Formats: sequence, structure tokens, C-alpha cells
Amino acid sequence: MPESIPAPLIIDTLKDTFREARGRSTREPLGWILSVPDTHQKTVLAALDKERALRVVTCATEDEANAVAAGLWIGGEPCVLMIQHAGLYASVNTLRGVAMDGRVPIFYMIGLLSREKDRDLKDSRHSMVRYAEPLLDTFGVPHARLEGPDDMHRIPEYYRLSRERRGPAAVLVGLETT
Amino acid sequence: MAMKPEDVLRAIAAARGDAICVPTMTTSPAWRTLAPDDLSIGCVGFMGGASSLGLGLALAMPRRRVVVFDGDGSLLMQLGSLATIAGAAPRNLTHLIFKNGVYHTSGAQEIPGGLTVDFVQMAKGAGYRKAYAVTEFDEFKRRLPSMFSDEGPVLVELHTGLADKTPMTDRGGLPFNQQVDNLRKKLDTAS
Repeated sequence: MPESIPAPLIIDTLKDTFREARGRSTREPLGWILSVPDTHQKTVLAALDKERALRVVTCATEDEANAVAAGLWIGGEPCVLMIQHAGLYASVNTLRGVAMDGRVPIFYMIGLLSREKDRDLKDSRHSMVRYAEPLLDTFGVPHARLEGPDDMHRIPEYYRLSRERRGPAAVLVGLETT
Repeated sequence: MAMKPEDVLRAIAAARGDAICVPTMTTSPAWRTLAPDDLSIGCVGFMGGASSLGLGLALAMPRRRVVVFDGDGSLLMQLGSLATIAGAAPRNLTHLIFKNGVYHTSGAQEIPGGLTVDFVQMAKGAGYRKAYAVTEFDEFKRRLPSMFSDEGPVLVELHTGLADKTPMTDRGGLPFNQQVDNLRKKLDTAS
């Protein structure tokens, strides 16, 4: 059964991930959060308001967030896109153009708003939940589920994977964060 | 009389120093000729993304000026980026709009609103530090140095005619992924 993940755990994991990505560099901010506000991950976004080590750039659309991520990566800066499944659907052309054809490594944390605790994604009553994994599969985007605190190792793992394969990689946040 | 985009780009090429430039659509063919092997990256394959790509570069490299050569039709595709840029407030970003009122590359169909769309007011409303229009080439040359030194984000709406070439009439240039690699090497961020 999936469990909610506490915001501090996600933030600490992102910090560790960015520290590893930076190696010896002590540059600040430690990393960038490109966010199109997401109900599902709102506790993380709220907690990030108090964070000094991570800088949040709120984007008006997911298309923008993908292109901003490209500029940051070209400039050597680590980042994560925190979006919702609906935003993934809205921005597939930019994901294709930037992360796939452009071979820009982009790591996504995608909130599965309305995901039911007692159903697998493929059996969800909500099309926006059901189609997330098939869409990522269609585009060949590697992905994993964050179904609870025990899955936090997926964040650094899929961040590194995006860098190694020079393309997109995603984790799907199963339940609303706390 | 509207400015020739090639004249504008030639003046920029002479004045830009080590600024990173982000051309898109009809500025791309001429810029390839004027600045063939420099700190530039074209927005290719995701129309409308030049301003956001420029924002990411500006945030990553705060000591270097980043200049976006946007189109009016292109910016309309991601108009929210004006607010995103203003919110992030990069002091080193200059956002030039080559305004011609049409989607030149796809056959010169009029953009929504045509030439009446006022990007200066939009940028001011979004929260850019400075925004103004330039209609004459002499004025452009006079104000060009400040476009590279004013605290950003700065938007300048340039009233231009149609470029001689478009990405459809003058195909070529490197695909985006190769431009990414080249710019990372030049910026020494590829390690």
C-alpha cells in the first residue's frame, strides 16, 4: 500500500542529490527547483519557501520549465522539475524537443494528483493518473514510482540516470506529500 | 521605416562582447553568418522557448550578459515567460523582441493582434525592470550599449521589417543537441 512522503525527507534527499552532482563545488544555491505549482507536492513547495540552499523558480508553464532547465544545465547547474501529470501532458513537445532531441538531461518529479491509495495506476478512475506511465513509456522516458519513504533512493538514482543517458528521467510521486 | 533585422544583428554582433546570444526563428540564419562560432545557442525544435532558455542561462551564469533575440510570434507561444522572467529577476538578461507582426517563417501569416500587440506594456506589467520600444536604427545604435549594461531584466521591442532569410528558405545550422554541446564546451561547464 502506498504511503505519503514527508516534505522534509524529499528536500533532504534533493539536497544530497545536488551535493553529489556538484562534487567539490560549493557554489550556491546548491540546486534549483523549477516548479509549476502542484497540489500534490504542495507541502514540499511550502517547505521550500524557507530553504536557503535551494532556489525555487516558479514557472508559468511546464514548457518554460523545460527550457529553463536546459539553460541551467548548459551553465552547469543542477535542477529538478516539480510538476503534475497534467503538466507533463501539456508539455510533451518541449520534453521531446529539449530533453530528447536536444539530449538535455532533465529530471522530473511528477505528482499524480487524484491517485487512489487502494488502486494501481493502471486501474485508476482518473485518466490523468492512468495515462502517465503509458505516456512516459511511449516516449521512452525511464520512470519509477515513489510509493513511500522507502523509495527515496529513486531520486538520486533517476537524477543520475538522466545525466548518464543525456535525456529525461522521471519519478512519479504516488500520494500527496505531507 | 522599419529597421532591417540584418542591420540590427550586425550592430549587436559588433557590440556584444562575450554575451551569450539566443537567436530564434528568422534571426537564426543571419546570426549564423554574422557570428558563426561564438557563444550562441539557437532555440530550435521548441518554438517559443528562447526566452526561457535565456532565463536558465542567465541564472546559471550571473556574471555574463545573456541576450535573447525573440520573435513576436514566438514570444506569444510562451507569453507567460514574461512573468516567469520578471519573478526570477535576472539582472543580466536582455530580451530583444524582433517585432514584425507576422509568422514570417511559416509564410508571413499575421500574428494574433498583428502589430498592435504591445510587448513593452506587457513586460512592464509583468515586472521587468525596464522595457521600451525602438523604431529607428539610429536610435537603436545610440541605445545599444545600455542594452548590454542596464540592470535586467530588460525588454526592448524592435520594430523591424522581414529578414532576408528564414529557417525555411535557408536551412542549415547545427541541431540543438550539437549546439548545446558546443556551448557547454566553450563555457567550460561540460565536465
